[in-house]
Amino acid sequence: MNEIFLIILVLAAVVAIEMKDLIHATIMLAAFSLVLVFIFFTLQALDVAIAEAAIGAGVSTVLFVVAISKTRRHE
Amino acid sequence: MVMVYILSILSFLCIIRLVLGPTYFDRLIALNLLVVIITAIMAIMAVEYRRHVYLDVALVYAVLGFVSVIAIAKYLTGKELHR
Repeated sequence: MNEIFLIILVLAAVVAIEMKDLIHATIMLAAFSLVLVFIFFTLQALDVAIAEAAIGAGVSTVLFVVAISKTRRHE
Repeated sequence: MVMVYILSILSFLCIIRLVLGPTYFDRLIALNLLVVIITAIMAIMAVEYRRHVYLDVALVYAVLGFVSVIAIAKYLTGKELHR
């Protein structure tokens, strides 16, 4: 099951890079962070998973959305 | 452990909708559903392996998981974010 989530991680990263709409790229980046949290969880790196959950879901996505709202949305 | 596999299949379906979804409503709701499903998988694995350290990760993600969805939804209403 872990290898399938690793494939999904690469897929989410490639889709987040290739998106032209930056809000869609931010949503895919949040999904990337979520899958990465689950991979850290299954590898039993629990404190790394907690730090990634706090940074990836709480700080990083909100920071990107604020940056997009102050600039333009389409690339 | 059967529930973990069933929820994994459901999360794969959510990821398909997240990648393919034409509008941002599809992607936003798929992301929110994916947060809930993966939090449930973490809680089930905490019960399965009898380690209550696992519940901390699920608790942190359940507390912080909705913040990104709220921020993106508030941006999509067209108003300013900081008021």
